Amino acid sequence: MSTDPYSPEVRALFADPAHAGAIDDACCVELDDQGLRIALYATVEDGTITALRFLAWGCPHLIAAAEAFCRDYEGRDPGQLLEFSSSGLMQSLSVPVEKTGRILVLEDAVRSLGNVVREALKAQED
Amino acid sequence: MTDSESMIYLDYAASTPVEQGVLEAMTAAMTIDGNYANPSSTHAAGLYSNVLIADAAAKLAGLLNTQPERLIWTSGATESDNLAILGAASYRKDRGRHLISMRTEHKAVTDPFSELAKNGYDVTWLDPEPDGLLDIARLEDAMRDDTQLVSVMHVNNETGVIQDIAAIGAACRDRGALFHVDAAQSCGKLPVDLDDLPVDLMSITAHKFYGPKGIGALYIADRKGVHVEPLLFGGGQQRRLRPGTLPTQQIVGFGETAAIAAARMHEDFAHITQMRDRLWNGIRDVPGVRVNGTLDKGFPGILNVSVEDVEGESLLLAMEPFCVATGSACNSKSQEPSYVLRALGLGDDLAQSAIRFSFGRPTTEAEIDFAIERYRQGVARLREMAPGRAA
Repeated sequence: MSTDPYSPEVRALFADPAHAGAIDDACCVELDDQGLRIALYATVEDGTITALRFLAWGCPHLIAAAEAFCRDYEGRDPGQLLEFSSSGLMQSLSVPVEKTGRILVLEDAVRSLGNVVREALKAQED
Repeated sequence: MTDSESMIYLDYAASTPVEQGVLEAMTAAMTIDGNYANPSSTHAAGLYSNVLIADAAAKLAGLLNTQPERLIWTSGATESDNLAILGAASYRKDRGRHLISMRTEHKAVTDPFSELAKNGYDVTWLDPEPDGLLDIARLEDAMRDDTQLVSVMHVNNETGVIQDIAAIGAACRDRGALFHVDAAQSCGKLPVDLDDLPVDLMSITAHKFYGPKGIGALYIADRKGVHVEPLLFGGGQQRRLRPGTLPTQQIVGFGETAAIAAARMHEDFAHITQMRDRLWNGIRDVPGVRVNGTLDKGFPGILNVSVEDVEGESLLLAMEPFCVATGSACNSKSQEPSYVLRALGLGDDLAQSAIRFSFGRPTTEAEIDFAIERYRQGVARLREMAPGRAA
């Protein structure tokens, strides 16, 4: 049984968060909840998420989960943001159960981002 | 990080490695070639075990400038704290039930007090000043005619703040209250003269100063009204105050630890002061960094720093391969910010960003220089990632 509180996936994502950063003039949400702060940025072109970035103040699990989300959702339909569930990340990153609340903050942020993107696309259509 | 060979240990306030001389003395007291007899036995082998224990008690008493018979062996500082607090409160319950301690004490002190509070005792918790020190006037104001016990630690395990136990003890004597000191972090590292200090009960442990885990002691002053009721029953050892077969090898190790500490104390103090100052000078210009506690009146073996806009657990991981603490090692699995740092007035964010570096005999300048590099890099990287700090 490993005594390491971080899975190899969390360690790798935390060590090299390629999607950390902000995007100017992108759809953006910022959440400050449970002592954590997270900001998500998305650009969408032709019905596809072309870029995702994050900024986070939180534990390594939150940073790793945000990085994994950005990596996994680039190239997808923006409507999928509204259906984002953190349970897959909880499993793939082996997030301990006591950190569930922190990953749910990311889930809330992603769904909020989905709403912002939807509103932006709707405004473009109008 | 589980490869011990690649770890760099800067967590000597949590525990220390056993000195080779201590290990050898312990081994000689537990194997077939050594002396493993029960020290309570009345045959020759048992009597020899007793001689070893008496020798260890003399060494520890020498370190603290007291008499060997004032020391009760325990399993460590936590048990000593419990025996002192619960035992003294019980012994003096007919005189009064008011007790005083500080919000910055170790859990081994706060939890027994909380238990007493559930059982009819009135506990006053004193706040520290922003630098962690106790204002003696605040203690004097809190004292009542029915105050029976005051407990204040010598060196804080998280911040290294050194309390003025001579002044606190004098205030207790003026009002007839017993004074207990948790000296887990100071024993063997700072001069302690129990023949001179107005201290009634003192908890100490071996593993914080290069001795084995599992052995500690409680000093009980030879003074009228100073006594503790036992917490354990089942034998006549140690004047029935703490019965049970004495662990000869642990006690012998503790004695040897004390003898080494007495010989090296000034050298050790100079070394850790140099290490602490080198580290602080290497990070003090990081924007938003601050010392938790005080450098001037702090034990140099501990440097606790917070930094703005950085989360502590992530900083801890960014600091690998360093083994450092985000607070007391005893409660670092908690998700809560340190209650000690919050008592100093830190908000949750600053308390969560705290890193406790602690230094020991093996600490080198190269380790400190690497720690400086890692800390600066970690803070910079995490700040770049924090919302509100994006370019």
